[in-house]
Amino acid sequence: MKLSLNWIKKYVDLPEDLTMEKLAYDLTMCTVEVEEVTDLSESLGGLAVGKIITVEPHPDADKLRICTVDVGDMVPSTIVCGGINLAPGQLTIVGKPGAMVRWHGAGDPVEIKPAKLRGVMSYGMICSSGEIGLEELFPVSREAEIMDITEFAAEPGSSAADALGLNDIILEIDNKSLTNRPDLWGHYGMARELAAIYGCRLMPLEKASIPEYSGDLSVVIEAPDRCPRYAAVTFKNIKNIPSPFELKSMIWRVGMRPINLPVDITNYVMLATGQPTHGFDKNHIKGSIHIRTAREDEKLELLDGEILDLTVSDLVIADEKSPVALAGIMGGKLDSILDDTEEIILEVANFTAMGVRRTAQRFDIRTEASSRFEKSIEPQRVDGALAVAVNMFKEYFPESEITGFADEYPLPLKNSEVEVPLSFLSRRLGKDLTAEEVIMILDNLGFKTAVKEGILHVTAPSWRSTGDISLPDDILEEVARLMGYENFDLIPPAVILEKPINQRTVEMERSIREYLAFRCGMQEIFTYPWTEDEYIEASCLDTKEMLSLSTPPSPEESRLRSSLIPGMMKGVFTNLRYFDSFRIFELTQVFADKNYHSINDPAEKLPEMARHLAGAFVGTDPRLLFRQAKGVLEHMHRAVHMEALGFEQMTKPQWADDKLWLNVMYDEKPIGSIGLISLKSARRAGIKRSMTVLFEIDVEILHPLASRQNRYTRLPEYPCVDFDLSVVFDEKVTWAEIYETASKVELVREVRFIDEYRGQQAGEGKKSVSFRIRICSDEGTLNSEKIEMITRQMIKKMSKKLGGDVRGA
Amino acid sequence: MFEEIKEHGMEKLAESGLLERLEKLKKAGMEKISETSLPHDLQTVRANLLGRKGEVTEVLKSVGQAAPELRKVLGQAANEVKDILSQAIEQRNEELINSTSSFEGAADITLPGTDFTAGGLHPITQMCYDLNDAFRSLGFEVFSEPEITSELYAFDNLNFAPEHPARESMDTYWLKGHDEERGAKRLCLRPHLTGASVRYLQKHGAPARFVYPGRVFRNETTDARHERAFFQYEALIVDKDFSFASGKVLVKTILDKIFGTDVEVRMRVGFFPFVEPGFEIDMRCLVCGGEGCKVCKHVGWIEVMPGGTPHPNVLRAAGLDPAVWSGFYINIGLDRLVMMRYGVDDVRLFHSADLRFLNQFK
Repeated sequence: MKLSLNWIKKYVDLPEDLTMEKLAYDLTMCTVEVEEVTDLSESLGGLAVGKIITVEPHPDADKLRICTVDVGDMVPSTIVCGGINLAPGQLTIVGKPGAMVRWHGAGDPVEIKPAKLRGVMSYGMICSSGEIGLEELFPVSREAEIMDITEFAAEPGSSAADALGLNDIILEIDNKSLTNRPDLWGHYGMARELAAIYGCRLMPLEKASIPEYSGDLSVVIEAPDRCPRYAAVTFKNIKNIPSPFELKSMIWRVGMRPINLPVDITNYVMLATGQPTHGFDKNHIKGSIHIRTAREDEKLELLDGEILDLTVSDLVIADEKSPVALAGIMGGKLDSILDDTEEIILEVANFTAMGVRRTAQRFDIRTEASSRFEKSIEPQRVDGALAVAVNMFKEYFPESEITGFADEYPLPLKNSEVEVPLSFLSRRLGKDLTAEEVIMILDNLGFKTAVKEGILHVTAPSWRSTGDISLPDDILEEVARLMGYENFDLIPPAVILEKPINQRTVEMERSIREYLAFRCGMQEIFTYPWTEDEYIEASCLDTKEMLSLSTPPSPEESRLRSSLIPGMMKGVFTNLRYFDSFRIFELTQVFADKNYHSINDPAEKLPEMARHLAGAFVGTDPRLLFRQAKGVLEHMHRAVHMEALGFEQMTKPQWADDKLWLNVMYDEKPIGSIGLISLKSARRAGIKRSMTVLFEIDVEILHPLASRQNRYTRLPEYPCVDFDLSVVFDEKVTWAEIYETASKVELVREVRFIDEYRGQQAGEGKKSVSFRIRICSDEGTLNSEKIEMITRQMIKKMSKKLGGDVRGA
Repeated sequence: MFEEIKEHGMEKLAESGLLERLEKLKKAGMEKISETSLPHDLQTVRANLLGRKGEVTEVLKSVGQAAPELRKVLGQAANEVKDILSQAIEQRNEELINSTSSFEGAADITLPGTDFTAGGLHPITQMCYDLNDAFRSLGFEVFSEPEITSELYAFDNLNFAPEHPARESMDTYWLKGHDEERGAKRLCLRPHLTGASVRYLQKHGAPARFVYPGRVFRNETTDARHERAFFQYEALIVDKDFSFASGKVLVKTILDKIFGTDVEVRMRVGFFPFVEPGFEIDMRCLVCGGEGCKVCKHVGWIEVMPGGTPHPNVLRAAGLDPAVWSGFYINIGLDRLVMMRYGVDDVRLFHSADLRFLNQFK
């Protein structure tokens, strides 16, 4: 919202030594955020009034003229100009050489320099309104029209801002910070607030005399819960003419476009008081005015040309026949002020916030009026707005006459009352306050306060009674903000030494993440909780137990994830464009439409939510990727204080390849799976030319241990001996069998897989497995006979039990 | 010594030629030693001169066959040459070790270092853990609530008016099938973290100090500054008659941790349904030091977080008597903080899973 300082000053005597910086700072600290302070005269800086003395044709250009212009200097300046409305005696705006001018009133100032135009020197520039950002105040009717300000009778050479009365400062207020202060949505309200901040005098808002008779105007409020008050005045002898410059300029400088005099008056009233008003053409209103909800199938064409299909929950202003305005939002096109309007009905009404907001939202229309009503305006404000409006119509249309008046007020608003113990304020503010101090602050804000036995009985003014003030804490805020939040010292809270915080679940989640990132070389990613259907399909997830969003980000993303696999697949797909091998993981919540339970309030039943961990390993060798992923899970308990994970084949995840998958076991139950993405799923997910192994486990089930559980093993007393073996086995022999067989040989302390080989040298249906064996003795150093004996024993067992063929044996 | 021998006038000695041979060996040996440039070659030189079959050793051996009167002189002379050469080799060896590389050939030290295969935490997780560490050192617990909550916890408990626009589906992601429900029965993806504060207080009572970071969801049109899923960090202290002025401690903990320096803050009026009084908290612009610059829109202050005293209705919902208990909330957008910390210009990158982005925070 933009505010003009000159306008505010009409209502309040601000301290004389108050700087703009101070005002903006104080307002920001105490009330609302001032986002920007603009000096209007600065945007017209460098521009001066010029009086055209002569206009001659240019010898070498048809469209250019050579003018002599009095710009307040001893000698008139020669200026070459292409304006089509140049005339001797005319006053206009000139940029003189050396002047720094902001083109279109914005951006950095540019210096004007003398220049040769088609062979003739030109000392300066005559401006069009568009060139200096004033096109809305000085609309051009034809192209290449220069600004004509002859009617301003200004001295040549005087500054443009002075001549046009645009020496003003504009405050831009952050609308968000005004949400709960409907009283500040107008110049008068802001003046009232400033008067309270500086303790200075506020002028009362003007009064007007309105004849009591209603003429032929009758108002019927059919929905008083949505329209607590509706006042209307009819004026005859009104004309649709442009407003005088002064009025135009006032509404223009705070961001509204001047339209015509009757409409500009209604906008002025709103900008002054914060109370929206609207004018109807009386000749178009048949019979009485009804404030009612719309009927099924009713339509309304708005001022902006949009045609609405109304619903029974929309409030409209209607005549005997049909709706003529969308209440509190926008007028109808056919019945508002028109070119030939001569008699108008001026509406000054109060609509409740919720109804206006709902309708505005449904039709996605935000107007100056709706944004004010949505904040909840008090019905009492109608009085002030009515007075300002009536006085303005009388002033600007001296021949006008009030022909009717109605003021229906079925639902008066009571002023809010709050009781606050003085001790409460002192305690919560950490400062001893006297009743006098508090009463003075509240009085400046328009609150009436009575004290009885240390308790303040506070009555809020009407403009603070629409919901903003209702609790002792609200009064505390009023007092504290006007005392200035900066004037309260930082009091560090007293520290009580308690037992150390031990949150194992919280720590476990963190150590899982850190283990994966720092030890396993995996990068953490985040994906959205809504899942794209394409990836749900690729993951072969059952959609029956998936929750959905009512208004999803897109139709393809309506389901909430029940697994992290779809997100992983998408993460893999996304990154394959730039990388061919990588490892990623995500740890977060998944949802299922089942197992509803309460965690606080028994009435609240929340669906199943569990934290899952998923990872992806991308590369070229599926067996290796699988082993890498398995290794990460296998060793997790070493970094994370938990029991070790196991592996078994029980149920294949649907997205997994037939040959490479395992279920992950914990406490003898499956808690997830690991597997290579099947060709089918990879195709569906758009994953090409790469192998991906995924895993997903339910982290919620993992139980954090109090501490580490691994034990120290004594170092061997005598040196151990390692030797490697390569054995050719049939494909169906598994490592588990090899391991078990090898481990049983005498003195074997460790059996470690090295690698496996398939191919010609191994033979069809065969593989060569290499592994390293460590043998240790507790009785003495192993001699070569002993080592040879064990090696022979090992080879024999491999051959006898598993059909293994040892190379070179 | 040769002079001495000459003095003895022993022609025989001269005739034997051994002395000359020694003289030559010494000269040639010394030359060879000084020419050798690798420690390895020096060993060969040593073997050739002084080894078992070395030339000097041969001379020494032949001393025995010389005339008995000459043996002593010859022996002395040969040993002297041996010592001299041996010392020279030793000395040369020292020199070579001091000046020679362990390997042959040239090396390009401008080649890049080898990459390490570490992964990394998401930059938001990193920021969150940094803050957790700071708050836990002040005795705060870390709490979290599930991402699906109800209207009761998301709005009703937090003093949002029944018609508050945040409740509309334009703002909040409601779950399908709950459109007709209200309160505890109407479920949504949590639109903010504050609901969790009531859950914690209901279970743990007061006094309390805890943080509850997490992801929240808003139905929004996305662009470089707006996301539908984003992260917040919220902290709450509840204590007896806790003055809002003490709330500055929370603010300073966060900002000092993030920026690693003492950050000046100010609190000004702000409005949020669940706090009374409510604040917007600004920090002194670190770019210009408060002089005014583009970053702070020329005001010298940057709005960083909202905060305030829990509204009495919120405390009541948490089962606490607002006449006794009071406190202070702060809530900060983690996405924005991370963006400020690293100069990230598009909030949507956080949920992109794009490793080109994420790899930068390892």
